[in-house]
Amino acid sequence: MKTPSLDGINLRVERGEFVFLVGPSGAGKSTLMKLLYREELPTSGQLILDGKDVARLPRRAVPYLRRSLGVIFQDFKLLPDRTVFENVAFALECTDVPRREVLRRVPAALELVGLRHKSRALAAELSGGEQQRVAVARAIVRNPVLVIADEPTGNLDPENTWAIMNLLNQINQMGATVMVATHAAEIVDSMKKRVVALERGRVVRDENRGTYGYES
Amino acid sequence: MSLRGWVTALRDALHNMARGNVMSLASMLAVAVTLLVLAVVAILAVNLEEIAATAESQVEIKGYLCTARREEVKCGQRDLTEEEIRAILESIRNLPNVEQVTFLSRHEALEEMKRADPAQADLLSGYEGDENPLSDEVYVKVADVQLVAEVAEQIQAMRGVAKVDYGKEIVADLLAFTRAVRIGGAGLVVLLLFATVLTLSNTIRLSVYARRREVSIMKLVGATDWYIRRPFVLEGMLLGAMGAGVASAVAAWGYIRLTPAIQQSLPFLPVVPPDAILSDLTLALLGLGAVLGALASYFSLHRFLNV
Repeated sequence: MKTPSLDGINLRVERGEFVFLVGPSGAGKSTLMKLLYREELPTSGQLILDGKDVARLPRRAVPYLRRSLGVIFQDFKLLPDRTVFENVAFALECTDVPRREVLRRVPAALELVGLRHKSRALAAELSGGEQQRVAVARAIVRNPVLVIADEPTGNLDPENTWAIMNLLNQINQMGATVMVATHAAEIVDSMKKRVVALERGRVVRDENRGTYGYES
Repeated sequence: MSLRGWVTALRDALHNMARGNVMSLASMLAVAVTLLVLAVVAILAVNLEEIAATAESQVEIKGYLCTARREEVKCGQRDLTEEEIRAILESIRNLPNVEQVTFLSRHEALEEMKRADPAQADLLSGYEGDENPLSDEVYVKVADVQLVAEVAEQIQAMRGVAKVDYGKEIVADLLAFTRAVRIGGAGLVVLLLFATVLTLSNTIRLSVYARRREVSIMKLVGATDWYIRRPFVLEGMLLGAMGAGVASAVAAWGYIRLTPAIQQSLPFLPVVPPDAILSDLTLALLGLGAVLGALASYFSLHRFLNV
């Protein structure tokens, strides 16, 4: 039998926390995040988000779960042939948010990530750092309770990495719970947040104001 | 589901079709061709049905009643009384599946022969009254031709009925023919419907494939399956209906052009006039195209959404 990606995980994250997930590649960081937004299902166990067991959610309830989350990926997952504004608006439009609301909330989100002036640019024309900021804007435009970022800076240079991490920190200050899987050692060390380390599917370390703890 | 949602979905569907214009055109034409074949089959079937129905309506049981001159043993070499004839007609009318009963006395039959051929009238006048060699006849039309043999048998069994005749072999052949026409037509129609669904679902699958990134992002940000599906279902409906439009236009044009020619060269053939069926056929094809398109999209998306 295959060894499970995650095994015997017992983790509790409070509302409003900021958590770094660290550990070698293949340790199960991405799988843990996929469980949260129901891209994958656990073989056993519970996963309580905001009082509801995500693992037992019926299929038709999954879209509504995802509307309460903001998810950010290493590869941004933007639509390259659409404008910055459209990419962010997309998250609202495909959940039937009224047009008025869209016109109010999208500029506010773009303002927060500092890209309001690029609203009309096509996503493909932006630099990597800018694209990821658009993805952050898309993730927060619905005021999610939980923002999940899976190696959000994996494709970015140090400067943009700082910019993104600062943004995530800012979002956390505004009240959202934030979980970030990352290999950015320097940043983890300097931000002094809670750090959860995974190795071979198990939690091997969980400390407040922790450090990265691996050779980078 | 809001009106705005439908408008957005329709805009997306049109956008998709414009973007994949060559594929959309190709599959629209493929649908048009299959539906055109379907239309031709339908027109043929309607006409064959008409021929079959006309032929079936001509099936008739002819019964000869007893007279003193007939040799059948059951007739007992005596004429029937008027009451007996009335009783026979009444009991034929009371048989199940009998639609129409017409009586022709042997005297009327003789008069008719005289009228039909005035030159022979003098000659025939020698056979009037008791000299009449003909039999009283009764013509029976049945409601369901399939059961004509049964009715004929029951009439044959009646007292006072000398003999019945209904063209047994011809009726059997006719019934076999109309049966084959109906089954063959239905089978062909089912096959063609299947081909249409396959064509459409292939196009939609390509369209989904071209937008798979968009679809996966939609899913991630919490779009419902229905929201994702809707523009594709509309696209399928539009493609199907457009193909049906082309097919019915071509079919109508061809049928209107062909009908006079057939009527001229084969005047005995009953041809259904175009205006009697073309509007129904067009509506049916358009509806069918739209429904098949919607079904094809729905099912080709199923796999993409279930990841």
